[in-house]
Amino acid sequence: MKIEAKAVEAVLSGSQILRGVDLEIGDRELVGVIGPNGSGKSTLLKCIYRVLKPAAGAVYLDGRALDRYPYKESARCIAVVAQHNYYNFDFSVRDVVLMGRAPHKRALERDNAEDYSIVAESLETVGMSAFADRSFSTLSGGEQQRVILARALAQRTACLILDEPTNHLDIKYQLQLMDLVRGLDRTVVAAFHDLNIAAMYCDRLYAVKDGRVVGQGPPGRLLTPEFIREIYEVDAQIMTDTAGHVHILFYPGAGNAREG
Amino acid sequence: MKPDTIKRGLFHGTPLYVITVLVLLAVLPLSILTAVTFGTMRLPVEDVYQVIRFELGRVFLGQPIPAEWAPGTPLHDVVWLIRLPRLVLAAAVGVGLSISGVVMQAIVKNPLADPYILGISSGASLGATVAVMLGVGMTLGPHYVGIMAFAGAFCVSMAVIALANVGGRANSVKLLLAGSALAAVCGAFSSFIIYVAHDDHSTAKIVNWTMGSLAAANWENNAAILVVALAGTLFFLTQHRTLNLMLLGDESAITLGTDLHRWRVAYLIVSSLMVGFAVYNAGVIGFVGLVVPHGARMLFGTDHKKLIPISALAGAVFLVWADVLCRTILPGNEMPVGILTSILGAPVFIYLMARKKYGFGGGD
Repeated sequence: MKIEAKAVEAVLSGSQILRGVDLEIGDRELVGVIGPNGSGKSTLLKCIYRVLKPAAGAVYLDGRALDRYPYKESARCIAVVAQHNYYNFDFSVRDVVLMGRAPHKRALERDNAEDYSIVAESLETVGMSAFADRSFSTLSGGEQQRVILARALAQRTACLILDEPTNHLDIKYQLQLMDLVRGLDRTVVAAFHDLNIAAMYCDRLYAVKDGRVVGQGPPGRLLTPEFIREIYEVDAQIMTDTAGHVHILFYPGAGNAREG
Repeated sequence: MKPDTIKRGLFHGTPLYVITVLVLLAVLPLSILTAVTFGTMRLPVEDVYQVIRFELGRVFLGQPIPAEWAPGTPLHDVVWLIRLPRLVLAAAVGVGLSISGVVMQAIVKNPLADPYILGISSGASLGATVAVMLGVGMTLGPHYVGIMAFAGAFCVSMAVIALANVGGRANSVKLLLAGSALAAVCGAFSSFIIYVAHDDHSTAKIVNWTMGSLAAANWENNAAILVVALAGTLFFLTQHRTLNLMLLGDESAITLGTDLHRWRVAYLIVSSLMVGFAVYNAGVIGFVGLVVPHGARMLFGTDHKKLIPISALAGAVFLVWADVLCRTILPGNEMPVGILTSILGAPVFIYLMARKKYGFGGGD
């Protein structure tokens, strides 16, 4: 499934966050969105997953404007792993993942064996099967993150949106989660803080700053010391290892030490 | 890591929940039939059941009642016109209050919500007072007091949510403050109307309301509240998925295919209807909507698929026995059931408030 954003602008409590963003993500492409804090990464993703209505411009799924989709239908196309998932109530892990089946259900339809097997399979995929009966709120941040990913998988969508998916995870699970996401063979859009993770897994990166796309391309081509300096104001060195992975090394001094 | 001791309730298996529902379905009529033998007047147990048997035969099969059991005899009237309608009313009010408690807790995403605490019962009581004392809404038909009570409940529930959302998103503290503020306003207006009207008969009726009493039960009004309570419960039984999504919040719900906004308004209307009719028939009975869902959640978890049927049945059984206690605890007299539920329920409320995990602890 193809996702496009055309001249998307967004306003949050009076201040303009996005100033005309164009984005094109091809079928089964894994695209990363990078940029400093407050650049509008999350806002851009929220416009794509419909929590925020663009003030101008529009998002298209396979060429059809997103607001022409009923919510149920768009939830069958796009699943989301957002940043905050705090609940005041105790749901079991299985109940949380089962909610991923909601967009496929009519009001009076019961949860059937297929739903439960999809839930079990999704939990298996993220390695959380043993936790199915645990209370969601007793899990660690990383475990919760994986359960929410399982919920997104249970939605069985063609697209997946991840807002800083590796935030709460230690390095093992960061790599595991990204391996898993890349193995899904779906259209994926993800926001990243960690440039190394973004560079290692993404087919293409979009760099966002001050509500505009300031560059896009394959990680190896987009990420140069000059470009990183321009958007993050830090000094970095780029290395390519023998396996062809791009690695970014940062230097201390927040960008002013190695001047000249 | 801790072993899997903390699950979503003590009993988390599906079969057990089905068994519980079936058991409660059997316990409810048995409770009513047991409770009907208790009362300030001592009546032989066989005679009580004879009256019920003959009346059921008359109502459903059109059989005549023998003269010694006929309407007009003290035995018949105590059993069939006083005790039984009162217990049926207790069950219906228990269902209505418990379910609206569950639904309001989902709407405001907080386990501390309850029609009484959020001031919605006070709104209903103001609506009923206005109807009874000032005759407002008489054109609405025979159940106009109930409809006015519903209108009061609905206005206050909308107002509580609007008030709690002023200056940022609603949280528990703001909800509770908004609720108690509006309860105070409604209570003051009710008192004002009663004071100005100076009508002894109506005043007694309204005092009954503010304390909550099942004593005024009659079959005609029971029919209306039974329909409202059962229809409301059936409606919410079909809504378990959306109710679960409500607890995740608006954003997650949209990504899972449901726009909560219109559902929230629909649920408020239906639950206000249930509260309104409960208050119209039995006055303000507090904390039922808090205690019953909380107990159900402790045992079976938060999933509304289980929570709705169990809370409805447990609420009915709870109020039937609360009423028995009220009729027997004071020798030769009875006390309003609202007093008892507050004595039992308020400590649960305080306990929930003090628990760090809930409400005031964190999140929103």
